[in-house]
Amino acid sequence: MKHFQLKSMASVTHLLIYILAFLLIWEWLRPVPAVTNTGQIEIFVWFTLASAVLIYFRFPFYITMPALFAGSLYGLHRIFMEGPFLSGEGAGTLLRTFAAEFTMNTGMIFNGNFAALTDFFRTFLLFMLLALVCYLLYYWVLYTRKVFFFLLCTIAYITILDTFTVVDASQAVIRIVIIGFFILALLHMLNVQDEERAIGRRPGSFISPAWMYTLVTMAAAAVVAGILLPKPEPQWEDPVPFMREIAGIEGPGGAQASRIGYGVNDERLGGGFEKEEGTAFLAAADGEKYWRGESKDTYTGHGWTSDPEYIESEQIFGSGIDYHMFEDGAELEEGQTFIEMDEAADFELIFYPGQPVNVQNTSAEAGGSTIPENEIQFYTDAEGGRIQAESGNTESVRLESYELTYEEPVFPMEELRNSSEEDPEDIQEYYLQLPEELPERVTVLAEEIGEEHDSRYETAAAVENYFSDNDFEYETENVAVPEEGEDYVDQFLFETQEGYCDNFSTSMVVMLRALDIPARWVKGFTAGEEVEELEDGRNLYEIANANAHSWVEVYFPEVGWVPFEPTRGFTNYADFEEPESDPGIDLGEDNSGEDPNIPEPEGGVDDLLEEGGEQEGTEEETDEGTAVFTMKNLLISIPLIIAVMILYQKQSRLQNKFFFYRYRFSGTSASFSSAYQRLLWMLANEGLPRAEGETLREYSRRVDLALSSQAMTKLTSSYEKVYYGGRTPVGEWEKRKKDWEEIVRLLQA
Amino acid sequence: MRGKREQPIVKQPLIYELIENVEKVVVGKRREIELSLIAILSGGHVLLEDVPGVGKTMMVRAIARSLGADFKRIQFTPDLLPSDVTGVSVFNQKTMEFHFRPGPVMANIVLADEINRTSPKTQAALLEALEEGSVTTDGETRELQKPFFVMATQNPIEYGGTYPLPEAQLDRFLFKFRIGYPTKAEEMEVLNRAEKEPPIESLQPVLALDKLLQMQADVKNVFAGRQVKEYIISIVNATRQHHAVYLGASPRASIALMKAGQAYAFMQERDYVIPDDIKYLAPFVLQHRLMLNSDAKLSDLTTERIIRDLLEQVHVPAGNEQAQ
Repeated sequence: MKHFQLKSMASVTHLLIYILAFLLIWEWLRPVPAVTNTGQIEIFVWFTLASAVLIYFRFPFYITMPALFAGSLYGLHRIFMEGPFLSGEGAGTLLRTFAAEFTMNTGMIFNGNFAALTDFFRTFLLFMLLALVCYLLYYWVLYTRKVFFFLLCTIAYITILDTFTVVDASQAVIRIVIIGFFILALLHMLNVQDEERAIGRRPGSFISPAWMYTLVTMAAAAVVAGILLPKPEPQWEDPVPFMREIAGIEGPGGAQASRIGYGVNDERLGGGFEKEEGTAFLAAADGEKYWRGESKDTYTGHGWTSDPEYIESEQIFGSGIDYHMFEDGAELEEGQTFIEMDEAADFELIFYPGQPVNVQNTSAEAGGSTIPENEIQFYTDAEGGRIQAESGNTESVRLESYELTYEEPVFPMEELRNSSEEDPEDIQEYYLQLPEELPERVTVLAEEIGEEHDSRYETAAAVENYFSDNDFEYETENVAVPEEGEDYVDQFLFETQEGYCDNFSTSMVVMLRALDIPARWVKGFTAGEEVEELEDGRNLYEIANANAHSWVEVYFPEVGWVPFEPTRGFTNYADFEEPESDPGIDLGEDNSGEDPNIPEPEGGVDDLLEEGGEQEGTEEETDEGTAVFTMKNLLISIPLIIAVMILYQKQSRLQNKFFFYRYRFSGTSASFSSAYQRLLWMLANEGLPRAEGETLREYSRRVDLALSSQAMTKLTSSYEKVYYGGRTPVGEWEKRKKDWEEIVRLLQA
Repeated sequence: MRGKREQPIVKQPLIYELIENVEKVVVGKRREIELSLIAILSGGHVLLEDVPGVGKTMMVRAIARSLGADFKRIQFTPDLLPSDVTGVSVFNQKTMEFHFRPGPVMANIVLADEINRTSPKTQAALLEALEEGSVTTDGETRELQKPFFVMATQNPIEYGGTYPLPEAQLDRFLFKFRIGYPTKAEEMEVLNRAEKEPPIESLQPVLALDKLLQMQADVKNVFAGRQVKEYIISIVNATRQHHAVYLGASPRASIALMKAGQAYAFMQERDYVIPDDIKYLAPFVLQHRLMLNSDAKLSDLTTERIIRDLLEQVHVPAGNEQAQ
């Protein structure tokens, strides 16, 4: 207990620092009730304060120890006992209990039976620990003057609690940062003052106003900046599920993030997703296209289902087209594409642009062995357009590569605008379906949007644009899952207003159907990233799993199914032909053109789809507000950063230039002294500082030697006359201006 | 602190002529001559600590001759009495009166040789003269001549039978320095000159005493600005705070440093003191006024070394303290 005889540190600065340190301990205690079943935390805080006071004033050991002991007994009494503390009975009971508990628990400690320690005894130990921490802090803060480690521990403690428990530490972090700023700066100030005292400049430590102003300004600036600056979403996913996974702990049910990619089951949409790495397939094509997989027609309120009616076809469309998408009004262009699936991709369905005509040279495998081409059979879902490959004896095959002939439509705008609304019955039957429990307000909203538009095309375009016009957010991580009884579209439109392609496309389909416009929900991939130009003029596109996407097709009786792209940040690839004289709107570009914050997700950026599946880094870019690393921002900020760096590097040169011209044009005799002093300052900045014990004359000789000049010596002798000789500097500036400028010029060189 | 200086530093024409004259007989001791003249101009005295035969007497005699001043030499011995220094009253039987016969201290320039060989009582008699500019015998105070300059010497080699000067008395000397051995070339020149008649006899006075007195008055008008005084105080203070120093320099040392600085500035024909003057003179002014503690003696620190280090560290005011 010898160390209890550290001498008292009684200055105001020390007291202030110690108070700040106490506030740090308090930060440790604050979250305790939230994460443990400890109640009455204020008793611990008061006890800590009492021990801090006792320790700060260096009361002798024989006072401190009993006082701390009595304090902890009182605390125990408050927590575990009833009745007055100071009555003979109360104190007696307490002491007896304490003695009994103490004996019992010490016994358990010696037996290694730590788990069985009683709450009473644990609480006592906690009191002792707090007193010890106060003492330790006193030592750290005022003797070794190193508190950074403790500060770091505090922040780590708080952030861990914030991450893994219910504690919300956003305020605590700010408090700790402020306290930390002050405590570190004050300690540093003490150290600096000690150094000054050692060389006899200052009598003792005191709270310097200069330090305090700077400190308060800096702390305030840092905190305000921290609070005001936009905070991008975390770049790393929430570590909790990851760690739980590592630790083998099952996560709680509910909104689990799903993996992104093309999936089969769309019955329950919603929830965030994780990006699925890897390539899905490579495709040679003559431009960017949607890679359609299938469409679904029945909206359940939570997702999409369909009831496939498969038609068997060997050479699928050997005798004509089994799957019609377009009517006579669309001009069709035939094209060829070659698709090679990635080795890791396991698809039994074909992805196609436009409407498929034929498939050749198919290669597939089942159970690890290649299947002869003639054994591959294709089944086409006549409604959804899903073209599935099967072999005669195996259920499931994995497509490896195929060549596809397709017809790509060009939609004349004229036809779209003047479209009749005479839909065939089967179309009406399939594609106007809505669940009965669809909330009324969805229909109301749809009618509002469609109110002023007469033609089907304009209505569809209005619904398509509704999302970007009303600041719906593209969001992939915190996407809500509708509860039982809640509608997926309703939740997106009226509550969350943030989501990804499934939210946008489903909502558009539902709203169009509410307006009696036949529409269906399509899933597939976006165009992917162009990786190579092929010899035949086509391009090779790499379509990643992360490019999985969903969009909308709207039925127009004259031209067939026309794709629409409601998702913010995505481009419609379909080809629309404007009549030459008509400056009408190009629907394809509407979407992405609307919002300048959203970069064109050409080629590489995309999309998604499937049970929540979706996207990745690039997605964050499309999300305005958090779009930090966009090309535009980079292009703007790189020159800016370079400019700042150059400025920083050239700052002394610029300063010198500034003073050069300032004194050159406004220098007078009266400013001779300040010009000379400024010169000393510049020389110091340029790496020629005057040594502490160096006289001006010695210094000027050194400078002249370094710069090979005589000017500094001449200037100095004039300055000596003024500064040490007490003369008024009449005519000195005029006489020495040349010398002054010579030195500055030599410095620049 | 004994670094190179640019020559010639002395610009005052009369002083320059005086130095040239002295150098006709003294070889290569310009710095010591200058220091002696600084002491004379500022009314101070010099303590030389050196071995015999390096030309102390020659230098001081040459200075005296060049000034046309009255020169006396006192060889201190253990049996020397105070009256042998100050003078004594002798009873004149003709006139039946006591008649004062002035001692050797009654001169313009006095060489007090081996001052540490005599008894403290005799030392005290001389030192009173140094400080007061007067002597008291038989209850009568007699003013000394003006100008009055004492160059005392002590032998640093032999300590047997010596009475080292107490610190309080050392403080009365403006400067303490060594003359040191000449270089080879200088010594050759010494030999060449000594071959013939000692040239000292042919030395002519170049500066009249009243002119010197006028100069002493002029030196007092040399301006020492606030910054220079601050610098002096910082230096002196630093000696008091140094860990190896038992007794630092006194305020008398500050005054001495300033006065010496004024004289040095005057010799350079400058009517204000600059820190360079102070920095140059500080070692000679301070080194005999510091007492080191036992730590310093054990770690071989000398006063010279300590002062040199301090001068490297003490901040020289230059007017840009705010800018920095």
